[in-house]
This record gives sequence, C-alpha cells and structure tokens, in this order.
Amino acid sequence: MPPASRSVGAVYNRGVASTDTYVVIAAFREAAVIEGVVREVVDAGWPVVVVDDGSGDATAARARAGGATVLRHAINLGQGAALQTGIDYALRRGARHIVTFDADGQHAAADIPALVAALADADIALGSRFLGAVDGASRGRMALLRAAVWTSNRLSGMRLTDAHCGLRAFRASAAPALRITQDRMAHASELLRKIKASNLRVVEVPVTIRYTEHSRAKGQGGFQAIRILFDYFFRTS
Amino acid sequence: MIIRILLLGGLAAIGWLVFLRRNKLPFHIVIVFLLLAVGGAAVLAPEATLDDIAHAFGVGRGVDLITYVFEVATLFVLLHYYTKFVELQRQLTDVVRELAILRAELERTTAGNRDRSPADS
Repeated sequence: MPPASRSVGAVYNRGVASTDTYVVIAAFREAAVIEGVVREVVDAGWPVVVVDDGSGDATAARARAGGATVLRHAINLGQGAALQTGIDYALRRGARHIVTFDADGQHAAADIPALVAALADADIALGSRFLGAVDGASRGRMALLRAAVWTSNRLSGMRLTDAHCGLRAFRASAAPALRITQDRMAHASELLRKIKASNLRVVEVPVTIRYTEHSRAKGQGGFQAIRILFDYFFRTS
Repeated sequence: MIIRILLLGGLAAIGWLVFLRRNKLPFHIVIVFLLLAVGGAAVLAPEATLDDIAHAFGVGRGVDLITYVFEVATLFVLLHYYTKFVELQRQLTDVVRELAILRAELERTTAGNRDRSPADS
C-alpha cells in the first residue's frame, strides 16, 4: 500500500495561474485586511471567491474592491460552512481545482502554484508550515501547533507534518468526498477524517505562514481548541 | 398539606392552558384531561395509587418510581431535541448557502446585462 502522505516541494515545477482554479476565502469581520489579501491573490492571476460569513462590517465591500467575487451568508454560520459555500460556487462555475486560503493574511499567494502543481498526481495537496516556514509565531503558539498536529494525527490516523493548515488545494473530482458538514472550526479535523476514509491521494506541500498582529488576534487559542474537540466528537454527522 | 395544593394548582394550570388552546382534536384534549386526572389522583392519594404500581415494578415508593421515569423521559426529550436541533442547523446552512450562491449568480447576470446594454441599444 502506498504511504498515506508524502512530502513534495521543489520537485514540482511551479505552475502558472489558471482561470479554472478558484481560490476560496472564508471571511468573518476581516474588513481591515481582506482587500490586501484578495489583491495579492488576484494580482497573481487567480480568480478569488470570498464568502463573507455574515460579518456585518465592510468585509464584502473591501473584498469586492480587491477584485474578488463575493458571496454573502445572511447569517454567521462558521468557517466550515463558508468554505463549503465558496467551494459549491466554484464547482458550479466549472472549477477544476479549488484552493482554500485564509482571510487574515497569514498565507502567501506565492505558495498557490506549488499546491496546484502538486495536484498533477494527487487529489489533494495540504500546505505544511512545518515543511515550509513560519514567520512571527511565538514559542507558545508553536508548542500549541505541535500539540495540535500530534492530537490531529491520533484522531485521524494519518501521519502529517501539519494539522489544520488552511492553505490547501484539491481537484474538483475530490470535492464530493471532502464535503464539509462541520459548520464551525472542527471542519479541518473532519476534512482529514474524510481524506482517510476516501483513499484520496494526499501530498503535503511546504508553505510559508506569516503571523501578524492581526492574524494572532484572530487565531485559535487554547480555549477554542477545546470547543473544536467538542464539535468534532459530538457534532459529527 | 401545602405541597398537595401546589401540585394540584400546577395540574389545574396545565388543564386551563390546554383548554384555552383547544385547537386540537377533542380526542387529544380528553387524553390530556385523563392524564391530568390520574396526576390529581396520584397527588391526593399516593399510597392508594402510586405505591402499588411502584411495588409491582420492584420500587419501594411511588415517588421514587416517578423520579426514575422522569429522569429517563427527560434524557429522551433532550436527545430528541438535540437531534432536531442539529438537523435544523444543517437545513439552515443549506438555505443560507443556496441564498448566497443565488445572490452572487444574480449579481453576475445583472452586471453582465448592464455591460451589454449600451452596445445593444
């Protein structure tokens, strides 16, 4: 049996941006940074779909100003639900590949080509900050992240170098097997469980995560980790 | 005893509410009033009613039997409503998602029409 995951990086030629690859961003109250985040991806040549998850601030307008197609949830449902909405829209628009990207500016558009190129012989490519680089994370956060990787590998039965990195790419054909039903944050664990159950071919691709003051403030702390575990165990469907 | 008055008052209040909201079939109302009557009898003469039933189930006192049944029933109701809640949340997600996608499609179509209209006229 082939290994469940393997790491690729420079072995893949960096592909060029294409219009059948949609970059999906779930955003909640990100008016301060979303325009810059969208613009960076749009300028690199990728179509961007932003799902404004009932923010109530100028997130939608700012995302549109950055050049994204904006979908708006009438009420806040959670990041998992927002991602799935963007994925559904991208599929209806004929996407062949879908990339998920965080709204808070922690991901780099420069990492997208490697992820998409990795889909040449994989169904899903997961970004890994531990294969790549992490800028600006405190020691405490790195410890929390490593604990998350350890827990996640125990839960999913997979052996990955990173857990819950929001930067990933997958083929449209893999989308039905990866459908997110966890509306809130437990969707990342759900995704790994579904990958494991589906026998999809997985690769990990090095990516660079940039922690800024803004992303640190929005990020998941220790208390949210408990809530995510609760969701994972009691709200599975 | 005060507790009997309170319990009977509670049962009477339930009966009154059911009577006020009698939009259901007479059959349902009769059932509810029968249950209330049984409750009233259990309050007025617990020894003569509940204790015998409890003994038949191997429980010492009627009051204990009521407690056990109530606990199981409460858990059942909680589970029922939790399942319902999760299902409703899922349906709500589907509706909000569909609305978001439809709205985006509509905006795209109208924007496309706007772009075309000067050339058409």
